Amino acid sequence: MRIKPYGLGILGCIALTLLIAPLRAAIDLSNVALLYVLLVVGMAVRSGRSPAVVTALLASLAFAYVFVPPQFSLAITQAQHLISAAIMLGVALLVGHLTSRLKSHVENAELREQHSRALYLLASQLTAAQTRADVLGISGHFLATLFRVDDLRILAPGTSEPLPEPLTPAGLADIVASRTLATLAAAGRGRTVTAVPLRVSKGLQGVLVFALDDADTLTAQVRELLETMASVVAVALERIHYADLARATGVRMASESLRNTILSALSHDLRTPLTALVGMADTVAEGRTAHPGDQQAMIVAIRDQALTINRLVSNLLEMARLQSGEVTLNKAWQPVEEVVGASLQQMRLQLAQHPVKVEITPALPPLEFDAVLMERALCNLLENAAKYSPPESEITLSATQAGNRLEISVCDRGPGLPDAERAELFGLFRRGQRESNIPGVGLGLAIVRNIVEAHGGSVDAADRSGGGACFSLRLPVGEPPRVAELEAPA
Amino acid sequence: MSEDIRILVVEDDRNIRQFVASALESEGYQVAAAGSLRQAGVELGARSPDLIVLDLGLPDGDGVQFIRDFRGWSAVPILVLSARSLETEKVVALDAGADDYLSKPFGVSELLARVRAQLRRRTQDSEQDPPLIRFGDFEIDCVNRVVRRRGEALHLTQIEYRLLLCLATHPGRVMTHRQLLAQVWGAQAVESHQYLRVYVGHLRQKIETDPTQPRHILTETGVGYRFQP
Repeated sequence: MRIKPYGLGILGCIALTLLIAPLRAAIDLSNVALLYVLLVVGMAVRSGRSPAVVTALLASLAFAYVFVPPQFSLAITQAQHLISAAIMLGVALLVGHLTSRLKSHVENAELREQHSRALYLLASQLTAAQTRADVLGISGHFLATLFRVDDLRILAPGTSEPLPEPLTPAGLADIVASRTLATLAAAGRGRTVTAVPLRVSKGLQGVLVFALDDADTLTAQVRELLETMASVVAVALERIHYADLARATGVRMASESLRNTILSALSHDLRTPLTALVGMADTVAEGRTAHPGDQQAMIVAIRDQALTINRLVSNLLEMARLQSGEVTLNKAWQPVEEVVGASLQQMRLQLAQHPVKVEITPALPPLEFDAVLMERALCNLLENAAKYSPPESEITLSATQAGNRLEISVCDRGPGLPDAERAELFGLFRRGQRESNIPGVGLGLAIVRNIVEAHGGSVDAADRSGGGACFSLRLPVGEPPRVAELEAPA
Repeated sequence: MSEDIRILVVEDDRNIRQFVASALESEGYQVAAAGSLRQAGVELGARSPDLIVLDLGLPDGDGVQFIRDFRGWSAVPILVLSARSLETEKVVALDAGADDYLSKPFGVSELLARVRAQLRRRTQDSEQDPPLIRFGDFEIDCVNRVVRRRGEALHLTQIEYRLLLCLATHPGRVMTHRQLLAQVWGAQAVESHQYLRVYVGHLRQKIETDPTQPRHILTETGVGYRFQP
């Protein structure tokens, strides 16, 4: 119990009495009584009910002793004066009581308003939460505006993680069953562990557990607030749970549809060259070729066919690997020249019938990329250029910087782009001409796009002035780390 | 000459073993074949081959471990056949001591070219420390530490010279990033791939006619570099 407000009431009484005692001849007795009532109201507003009651009792004593005749005696001779003293006490008590109630109402209303504002803020922040960790952070922030909490955590249903002392698995189960907030005294003075089940319409999303230093802060209002908060948090957790579920299902469906496309591509585009392969091998094995020269030609064709199938299978595997999301980029800062050179070297057989012009702007900044994948992308572009343009026509490979992007282009003098939508060229299993005698299944450009996009870049295709097509990839230019001269000790 | 050269082919797939063996025999090499590491051990003791063609995926053991053990007592070149397209697998085999690799599927001419390159290197290795290494228009004078192009001295920094020497003394062999860094910069630098790329770039500027289409220092993307005389 706090002493100070009572002391203040007593002092007030004494001061008022001393102040108006000299003037008692001039002031009417009823006005004196009103002055005392005013003091009691003041006390009620300032310090609440109990100090007001004490002040009222003291005031009526002072009134009876000092002002009511006979003065300086508690004896009241006239009934009329007795009535006014009693009324004054009554009025003082009543007004004090009403005032203090009003005050606590106002305070409650303010607290409620504060709580609802905090809840509103919590709810609006939770709508943006993407993960359980986000929810935990936002909840922690919310609780911190109310009181000092620590060791805040959200226990998932059926968790196996160690529980904070003195919570036991059985105790936790009881709390969950009771569906209400529970507090347990923990080791340390006044320290409590509070557990709030996070319930939604369908089951439990977890239990919010935190430790409090001062158990007294958990008033009925705060408990109510915590339970409201728990339901808001539970709804947010439920939403995240379903969003995760939807995402996982989406991924599964996407990979399922990829598998289907691959299977259909395999069944058609692999069977056709395999049929030719088996047929040609049979012809040679059974000696059915008319001329010895034919046999030789057929064997060469078998080899080429097998290599074509190998490229197809490699592309399919590469695509499946890229799409499965299992590829981690092995990024490193390196000059573009090197990967360009390596791709040309890699494709030298396919490019044998085309003069290749390389135009690289001198002193290009290094880029951060996965060399193996980037080589794959460039090889696919070069292979396409070689496949789709007439023999002896020139293929140009160029690299230039355009703003904060580095652009690598492979241009040919082939038939140019089909009229179909340009962007679709980079789609899976898309081919310029649907049925053509040029081998391939339309994986090359899709792989290019996947690789380039994984590096934060973009791909583009355009017709070339003077005939032919240009395929470009743009990669972001970053801030390369400085390379200190690492000269070895001589 | 070819008749004296013995090659051991270790490969578990019968068809591949057969075609590799017959391709090598057609070149006049003496070929022994083994289908497992255990059998390979027996053949190694019996024949002491001059070159080993080794498939990494054998049924009775890890090919990389075999290379490591073998390198403990022999410097005979090893050409690895790898069905795995992941570059890290090749790097592991090369770092373990393999000299070169071929990814399946490979053609006969490619196989023979690689085998010839390894055997040529072997005969060069036996001539101790050649004072002059010649390639293209260039010669490296190891005694005076000078590189000349058509007799004219070329200015190379210390690092560039060491890098070129390291590559040129292993012609036809894939040197992994790690191996080059360790030999040129020292063991503490084996992870600093960026240095290597920068210096290879400098070196190409100085010795290649067209640095974007190098003839001598070839990139094995994701693995390392190969020097081609």
